[in-house]
Amino acid sequence: MTETVVEVIDVTKSYAGGAGVRALDGVSVGFATGTFCAVMGPSGSGKSTLLHCAAGLDRPDSGRVLLAGQEISRLREPKLTEARRRRVGFVFQSYNLMDSLSVWHNVLLPQRLAGVRPDRDWAREVMRRVGLAGRENDRPGQLSGGQRQRVALARALAGRPEVIFADEPTGALDISAGREVLALLRDAVDGFGDLGSRSGERSGTAVIMVTHDPAAAAWADRVVFLADGRIVTELADPTAEKVAAQMTAVSAR
Amino acid sequence: MMRLALGTLRRHRGAYLGSFLAAFLAVALLAGAGLLLFSVLTAKPPADRFAAAAAVVSGDREVTLTTTKKKKKNKVKSKTKSERLTGAGTLPADLAGRIAAVPGVVDAVADYAFPVVFPVRGEDDAPVVGHGWASAALTPYTLREGRPPAAGEMVIDADLAARGGLSVGDQVQITTRTGVRSVRVSGVAAPDGRDGLAAQGALFLADRQVPAVSGLDGPTAIAVLAEPATDLAALRAVAGDAPVFTGADKVRGDLPGALPDYIGPISIFGFTIGITAFAAVFVLTGTVALGVRQRLRDLALLRTAGATPGQLRRLLGLESVVLAAVAAVPAMPVGVVVAGLVAARFRALGAVPAQFTVAFNVPVLICAAVAGVLVTFVAARIAGRRAVRIAPTQALTETATAPRGGMLVRVVAALVTAGGAVAVLIFVPLGGPLGMGMSFVSSALLLCAVAALGPVLARGLTAVVGRVAALGGVTGWLAGTVARAESRRVAAVAVPLVLMFAINATMLLNSSLLGELTGDEHAARSAPATAQVTGPGGLPLSVAGDLAALPGVTGAAATLPTRAIVAQGGKPEDYPSQGLFTAGREAAIDLDVRDGQLGGEGTFAASAYLVEQHGWRVGDEVPIWLADGYQVTLRLAAVYQRARGFGEMALPADLVAAHDPRGLVAAVALRYDGDVAAGIHQRWPALRVTPAVAAARAGDAQNQQGAWELMVVISLGFAAIAVVNTFAIAASSRRREYADLRLAGATAGQVHRMATREAAITVTVGLVLGAAVTAVVVGAFSTAQDGIFRLIVDPVTYGGMLAGIAALGMAAGALPIRAVLRRRDLPAVADDH
Repeated sequence: MTETVVEVIDVTKSYAGGAGVRALDGVSVGFATGTFCAVMGPSGSGKSTLLHCAAGLDRPDSGRVLLAGQEISRLREPKLTEARRRRVGFVFQSYNLMDSLSVWHNVLLPQRLAGVRPDRDWAREVMRRVGLAGRENDRPGQLSGGQRQRVALARALAGRPEVIFADEPTGALDISAGREVLALLRDAVDGFGDLGSRSGERSGTAVIMVTHDPAAAAWADRVVFLADGRIVTELADPTAEKVAAQMTAVSAR
Repeated sequence: MMRLALGTLRRHRGAYLGSFLAAFLAVALLAGAGLLLFSVLTAKPPADRFAAAAAVVSGDREVTLTTTKKKKKNKVKSKTKSERLTGAGTLPADLAGRIAAVPGVVDAVADYAFPVVFPVRGEDDAPVVGHGWASAALTPYTLREGRPPAAGEMVIDADLAARGGLSVGDQVQITTRTGVRSVRVSGVAAPDGRDGLAAQGALFLADRQVPAVSGLDGPTAIAVLAEPATDLAALRAVAGDAPVFTGADKVRGDLPGALPDYIGPISIFGFTIGITAFAAVFVLTGTVALGVRQRLRDLALLRTAGATPGQLRRLLGLESVVLAAVAAVPAMPVGVVVAGLVAARFRALGAVPAQFTVAFNVPVLICAAVAGVLVTFVAARIAGRRAVRIAPTQALTETATAPRGGMLVRVVAALVTAGGAVAVLIFVPLGGPLGMGMSFVSSALLLCAVAALGPVLARGLTAVVGRVAALGGVTGWLAGTVARAESRRVAAVAVPLVLMFAINATMLLNSSLLGELTGDEHAARSAPATAQVTGPGGLPLSVAGDLAALPGVTGAAATLPTRAIVAQGGKPEDYPSQGLFTAGREAAIDLDVRDGQLGGEGTFAASAYLVEQHGWRVGDEVPIWLADGYQVTLRLAAVYQRARGFGEMALPADLVAAHDPRGLVAAVALRYDGDVAAGIHQRWPALRVTPAVAAARAGDAQNQQGAWELMVVISLGFAAIAVVNTFAIAASSRRREYADLRLAGATAGQVHRMATREAAITVTVGLVLGAAVTAVVVGAFSTAQDGIFRLIVDPVTYGGMLAGIAALGMAAGALPIRAVLRRRDLPAVADDH
């Protein structure tokens, strides 16, 4: 039986301006450990807002968010940051790497900021897995977009997070670079064949990925569809065709 | 193009604020200094003492030397150089009679003008000038009450009467170089419609008494009352070498002390304009460069849209012109205010005459605005020279970077300027009167070198400082690493700090070193004396002789401050000097004579500096012009070391007393045993006997004081703008970097700590470089003064400047970041696309 790593319960979120548009309207959804879930929906459906609320990057107006059993929706800074960096990794469309730090320092940065001794062996292993062994001393600026996104992924993985939030991780990449990144996310969920785990148990992290690309969503175990701030339907074991068909249906509503 | 320029300016208002402020300050200062310079250049003499005369024949007012050099092809080149006298030359006593005989001349009135120490001074501390009663008609002064002076009487102007609360019948003590006299007020006179002339109080004695009281051997000027059609050529022929002035020039025949002297202010305001332009180009280049860096992506986008580098260059140039033109509008009235404030301060310091006013002149303001626009334009050209060559593809990348390179230009510029600085420090005798100005020039040159090599120097220093910072945990490490990676940014922010520290530290430390040395030398000079005797406004030389002759006095030395002129390479050069009278068997003054011996008929002594400058040797006969232009040849008898606060030459006291119109002893140093002081008090109640008196300020002290103050304020203003502005730009353009850090798990507090540590690294880099420049210049200056190498000179000033600039730097570094990023904020994921 899998347990739930992120639980979003009846979350509402509106943004000031724009006549108080409700980005999320009573959304409840759970994400299980060691699974890969895609969040889809038309533009403005609230999928990024859902991701931000679930990840503790944004505070819901009402409702609760549990991250590995800890209620984070009412946490204040800097407690929220501390909770987030202990359990969460991020992979965003714009990579969000520090240009002035080398690849290696970027990968170790979250652990350093958390004040824990970085697990260098694991970080090296992660670098190898994302195919960037030997590029440790380069600057992000010297890498291609796909490589940069793999650095971002390595950084997310280096901290052994319980969940990785990915917001359009392939949005800025070409098809083959995007596919590599998705495969790596998939591998991360599948525990890299359990090589990286310290104990024998399954170590796969959960991945929650916002995307608008049906082909990307097809790498997931489950796809949640949002429209107008509500979850309208979901799909298990998706294929690109099924997702595309569902998107068309959702968008047409 | 114009629309695009206006559009970008409006959109990037924040980034341009710094450039705007710097351009504003530049125009305001240029306008202010320009107005001041214009005002001193066009300043009218305050009043025409000879208003009633048709022409004035004047005694010498300057020393003029003409040298002729034979060049190739039998060409003869002759150069004429002149130096103004501080006193007034006199005319032959019989000249007035000969002039009166010229056809058409109604009358020729001799004016014997001489400075008088009177109980009160005139309006705005104006000097009091004595005359013979006959010359009252030249202004004219007319009697308001009383009667013309008889022997032992005088007429004073109404202004002096009011200030001193004097009326007809009062007895007043007046002092001239010939002695102290008690004179009765016989009348009060005034020019038409006024109580007195501006800038000079007037006092008229009986004509018979004037030569004896003034000590003059002839009139200082002869005013000619003539019929309108009188032949000036005939007059000139009779006058011989003496200049004949007419119209507004007539005032040049007046006593120099009664005329405003604008030579000092002219050079100060000219210098100010130069410094302002230097600082403006320096600061504007930095801020405009940062502004351009912020917009690299924009520029790249324009390149993609087909703009050529030339078009981008024009765009940047146009933007800068618009920006500076807009800044100039409010800056011009501010410039007028600045001029008023500076004039007030200079009046208070006595660097300009009290009646000096700022003339308002629109063309000067427009010139300042145009100059400000030009300077901004040049700065934009320098800042954008490589940025405009950005590759179009840079628009597509996340972080646009300017084309690298240009290292050769930087290195060459740095070598040239640093070489210039070293040359100045080595070849200019910094111990001389040019020392302060030249040390400023060399620190400005070194600053240019630092600015040119900024990124390289910053990289090296941040590597070291960053490593130290890394010991302070993860935020320190992060700050050090980021700073090292972004050494250009560090350099851009640190260079203004270097400017601020180096300019002000060298000026303040050098002048405090000079002050200290002057004080030390003065103390050492007067060490042998038991007491110093001074009188209000000075005492006649005869009194000094009486003091020296008092029983119990074993040694005396009286000093009469004056200025004397010697020729150097065909150019008359004016030096502060002293008339020195010594008596007794023990020396009461210790000039630290290195060669020869003080005293002896027809001899003088000179400072080691002057002797070295002129290549004199003891025993040489040297022609010297005294304050009234009288030329005398004296034999160099001694070379002395302790010249600071004293003067470059020690001349025979009686000669100075006879040829400097003031000719009064400033202080008499006495060496005695027993109760001589009580005896002095009894005989001369007005004299003060003190253990020591403060060193006399060097001749140009008030001018220099004003100039340094002005420079410190200017450089502080510019540098503060540059620092705040560069920090603010750097901080706001890094929003994204901070957002990334937050996403990577940094708390807002950690980001703040990192930013603070980064600011600390930057400030440290700036101060280290500033201290290095200061060390070179102050070290060289100090070594040139007395052979001792000093770095800090004045720990309090040094520490205060370090702390003040560090505080400004830290505040400028930390506050903008606090504004960008509040502690309770959630990470901003609104990734800027």
